[in-house]
Amino acid sequence: MTDPVNGAWPYLDVHQSRTHEPTPYEYKLAATLEEVFTHEGHELADVVRGLNARQVHAADGAPWTEESFRAEMNRLGA
Amino acid sequence: MTLSTSATADHIYANGLRNQWHAVVPSRFVAPGGMRKVTALGEQWLLFRRSDGTLAMLADRCPHRGAPLSLGKHLGDRVACWYHGVEVETDGTVSSVPGLPGCNLEGKKLVTSLPVREVSGAILAWFGDEEHPEPAELTLPDPLTDPEADAFLCYAEWDVPWRFAMENLLDPMHGAFLHHDSHTMFDGDTTAKFRIRETDRGYFFEKTDQRGVNFDWVELCRTGVDWVDLSIPYPPSAGPGGPFGIVGMACPVDAGRTGVFFWRYRRVQGWQRDAWRFLYKTLIEKRHWDVLEQDRVMLEAMPADADQRENLYQHDLGVVRLRRLYRTAAEAQSA
Repeated sequence: MTDPVNGAWPYLDVHQSRTHEPTPYEYKLAATLEEVFTHEGHELADVVRGLNARQVHAADGAPWTEESFRAEMNRLGA
Repeated sequence: MTLSTSATADHIYANGLRNQWHAVVPSRFVAPGGMRKVTALGEQWLLFRRSDGTLAMLADRCPHRGAPLSLGKHLGDRVACWYHGVEVETDGTVSSVPGLPGCNLEGKKLVTSLPVREVSGAILAWFGDEEHPEPAELTLPDPLTDPEADAFLCYAEWDVPWRFAMENLLDPMHGAFLHHDSHTMFDGDTTAKFRIRETDRGYFFEKTDQRGVNFDWVELCRTGVDWVDLSIPYPPSAGPGGPFGIVGMACPVDAGRTGVFFWRYRRVQGWQRDAWRFLYKTLIEKRHWDVLEQDRVMLEAMPADADQRENLYQHDLGVVRLRRLYRTAAEAQSA
């Protein structure tokens, strides 16, 4: 990756929005979320049910609730 | 002296139009208390940020002997040239000539200082020529000021003339071919009829018989800064919130190089916004990048005289109009 402050031409950086390399947990959650959005729909209740049905749980291992899912998305999407 | 009024129309057409705002580099390229040398419109500039975040943009040329100020020292509120220590303030005024105190350079504004603004993570500067140093009104792209929309900036540097980068954006039909193997532009007809629709800030170039399927329309907006707006559908995997949009700008670096700015935005709120942002950072940004690379590979491979030996057809009306507009402006600015 080019150093953004002193970097030489050209600056070509795939990832400009990240603050860190996603963790294995984040990758798995993101991939499953895409699958759920594709097959279960876009309603919050469907998304939470779809994640739980696939046994892809929160970082503490607990099944998702609408509240815990919102909170985690808020943290990860900041 | 910078951005003289004596430049030829060919030079201006090749190196970028004056007397308007241009995006230069992302804001994060200039850290607090830092400096960065940049090339824009074929000339050398210095971006200079005070530790409190205040940003200034100076011609990168010491008024004494012409040495680059970017090689000098950041003194907090001014820069000292490395060659003879001449100190220049952020408004271009020489504050001190250490080798000869009281010298008549002191107190004179001898370095061009461009008005700057920071917008959604990008530095915009007013590139006025000698006769137009004061900035014209700047109306920011509405998707970047809309509280209902959320945006990520993607910046990249391409070895292409700035005109080719803009023409590419006024050519929606390439979406169905160049980007056919992409996550967003695989669908829709490969034949189309287009029309131009005037607006009070530019024009739309749009398909007459398909919308919301591929890259089906684009609006050129001239609001003090030139930008395009367009919309591309997401697949269901991207979650709720509908299509994503792009606000695009191009910085003419010099006759052969361009800095491209793409804000991907989506009108999405609450958990839906958060989920999109999470997916964007984790998975989608890379896919968007792959699409942009298809553009870069094609445009960098175009011959330099590509626009001199063409056989255009109806899909190129948006490009033809853009060229005429820019060529006319370049001629007016060289008068």
